[in-house]
Amino acid sequence: MIPLSYNVRSLLVRKTTTVATALGIGLVVFVLASAFMLGTGITKTMVGAGNSSNAIVLRKGSDTEMASSLEVSTLGMIGAAPGVKRSSAGTSLLSGEIVIVIAQDKLGTQGQVSNVLVRGVPPTALEVRPEVHVVAGHPPRPGTDEVMIGKGLRGKYAGMDLEQSFDLKKNRPLKVVGVFESGGSSFESEVWCDVDTARSSFGRDGLVSSVTVRLDSPSKFDAFKATMESDKRLGLEALTEPAYYEKQSSGTSLFIKIMGGVIVFFLSGGAMIGALITMLAAVSQRQREVGTLRALGFSRFSILTSFLLESAVLSLAGGLLGIACALCMSFVKLSMMNFATWQEVTFSFDPNPAVLVGSLVFGGFMGILGGFYPALRAASVSPIEAMRD
Amino acid sequence: MGLVTIAVRNVWRNKLRTVLTLSAVTVLVIFFLLLRTVIWSWTASAEQGARDRIGTRHKVSFIMQLPRRYVEEMRSIPGIKQVAHASWFGAKDPNHTDDFFGTIAVEPKEFLEVYDEIKLPKDQFETWQQDRQGAIVGDVLAKKRGWKLGQKIVLQGTIYPGNWEYHISGIYTANSPTVDRSTLYFQYKYLDESRPQRLQDQVGWVMARVDDPGRAAEIAKAVDKKFEDRDIQTLSMSERALQASFLGMVSAILRLIDVVSVVMVLIMGLILGNTIAMGVRERTHEYGVLRAIGFLPKHIVMFILSEGLVLGMLGGIIGLAIGYPFVQKGMGPAMEENLGAFFAFFRVTPELVVTSFFLAAALGLIAAIIPARNAAKLEVVSALRRVG
Repeated sequence: MIPLSYNVRSLLVRKTTTVATALGIGLVVFVLASAFMLGTGITKTMVGAGNSSNAIVLRKGSDTEMASSLEVSTLGMIGAAPGVKRSSAGTSLLSGEIVIVIAQDKLGTQGQVSNVLVRGVPPTALEVRPEVHVVAGHPPRPGTDEVMIGKGLRGKYAGMDLEQSFDLKKNRPLKVVGVFESGGSSFESEVWCDVDTARSSFGRDGLVSSVTVRLDSPSKFDAFKATMESDKRLGLEALTEPAYYEKQSSGTSLFIKIMGGVIVFFLSGGAMIGALITMLAAVSQRQREVGTLRALGFSRFSILTSFLLESAVLSLAGGLLGIACALCMSFVKLSMMNFATWQEVTFSFDPNPAVLVGSLVFGGFMGILGGFYPALRAASVSPIEAMRD
Repeated sequence: MGLVTIAVRNVWRNKLRTVLTLSAVTVLVIFFLLLRTVIWSWTASAEQGARDRIGTRHKVSFIMQLPRRYVEEMRSIPGIKQVAHASWFGAKDPNHTDDFFGTIAVEPKEFLEVYDEIKLPKDQFETWQQDRQGAIVGDVLAKKRGWKLGQKIVLQGTIYPGNWEYHISGIYTANSPTVDRSTLYFQYKYLDESRPQRLQDQVGWVMARVDDPGRAAEIAKAVDKKFEDRDIQTLSMSERALQASFLGMVSAILRLIDVVSVVMVLIMGLILGNTIAMGVRERTHEYGVLRAIGFLPKHIVMFILSEGLVLGMLGGIIGLAIGYPFVQKGMGPAMEENLGAFFAFFRVTPELVVTSFFLAAALGLIAAIIPARNAAKLEVVSALRRVG
């Protein structure tokens, strides 16, 4: 076995080339890791809003809560369905909500407006979604024009901060009294107000957009769904919350993943050729060395592995650099439109270990693939001819 | 032997390496074309939005509707020439539920007056106007679905539940490439008469043509002022401002693509620089000889820089020769057909071709700077002593 230090030293001799190649691979690994970090960040934000013990009821055929509307009269029937959890007071844990997207002036732009999701909720909403909790101020009092906003909205739109107010309807300002958090999910990009306030400001008398219920356990969902969908005239459709949010995010996260895939395909093609060029040059410059090694008794196989290792070391060094840069991306927050709801949601890059390790392995793999042909060439050097040169 | 000849010969000395370098540059140039075209295609529709059209919607939310009488009232505002209203319907083809296309209810005559970039044959227009369930579809959508004139189709409503039957009365094209040709427009009458009474006589938004594009912003303000004291207020802006707002919402994606473009240019530079540096190192001995017979350091610098330039230009030319037809003939039509709602027009602009070429050439030149400086600094004696 040829010692690894031989390869490391060989790399250090040709500094410019080594740095250029490693940087090239590092950049690819950086892009790859960032794309996947963003992809998982989006999934985490969107799907993270769903709790597997919760089920959401929509009007059949509507893809989003926004497009759905149900008569308030169905609430009683939904609450009485099997599997719905009851509070200690004996009432069903259900939340009939009104969801609408409003235009709001975006701060720091020249008069641009963007869409913010407003959710009109009954007081039970916080029991149905225990992961939502107020971190500043206090929850809005029922029956008032007070609202709480997700922390992702704070300071981004006109009127969206504690003690400020914005209009839903002319001369009907909503006052922000609280800021809430929900573990990074997309609720943090929403405004929550009283359901009756939403109903009267948006002219939705007698209607709700969707109904979310808490189930006794996730396993009760099938029975609940069967009850909901048994009466065809009501035209209801039940989904588990994670399934619903997965559907909401699929468009956006698919877009990012396809985009990322295409980008990485092209970039890694380029960087792999870079590694190939470097290793080919390394092999041709070291003909005599390789010949000497062969003459000393090292087998063709150990020459092959040695050069492959050299290429792997080169690309792993670049890969580590790329990952270090990608980690810095986790401090960056992006706000982007969700194609399904037109709502702007704040995402972050999610640095999970699987993505980082995967990207590093991909970088090493690129090096080995690019180094394979040069290594093969080195292994086939004839000792006598090489030393005669 | 001229400078260029030497540069070209040097480029061609290590054939395998040059071929590899050129193929890497080619791949990256193709990719650059793709990325920039994505950005252009998105921003183009915003920049080409009609200057003389303003849009009016519900002030609070785009999913809330305006009373239909507002349409008539807007006609009397000075500066407004024509007015048309439209309502988002939201329907899916039951056989292809994942496939998105727009479905919009309009008043045929007004609509085609205000959107005069949409072209519909006269006889098809007449058929449409006479048929309550008539609909027109863009040629891209018609081709994709295989819909023919006169065909009956059934769509599933997502906002208005149930099955909705339409007759294809016409297939429209457009004389502006950025118009989405994957939308279905149908008669407002059909929608309004079939929905519950409490939703009737409402429209989604109103588009108006103004006589002076320079006053579009001013007229938009006048519209909002007119409805300011009503129950329902409006939000009006020029079509360009509207599209700029949309771009604002996807600006994060645009910025990410910009970042990737820069990364890509860096990788291209590194590969070019690497190739040149290796060539120069292998020829150190020769440069020593050249210096010894009287060539000055500046000559060496010129040799190496022109070698970089030639390499970059070659890469740019080959990349464009392959990439241009690839995007123009292959990707472009495929994107327009499948993602027409996002990329109505996906083609490489002449400016982009020029930019890509000069970018590749400039990168070759810049990448050669460091190897050139190192070679020029070398002492003649030590250059001669150096082997391999």
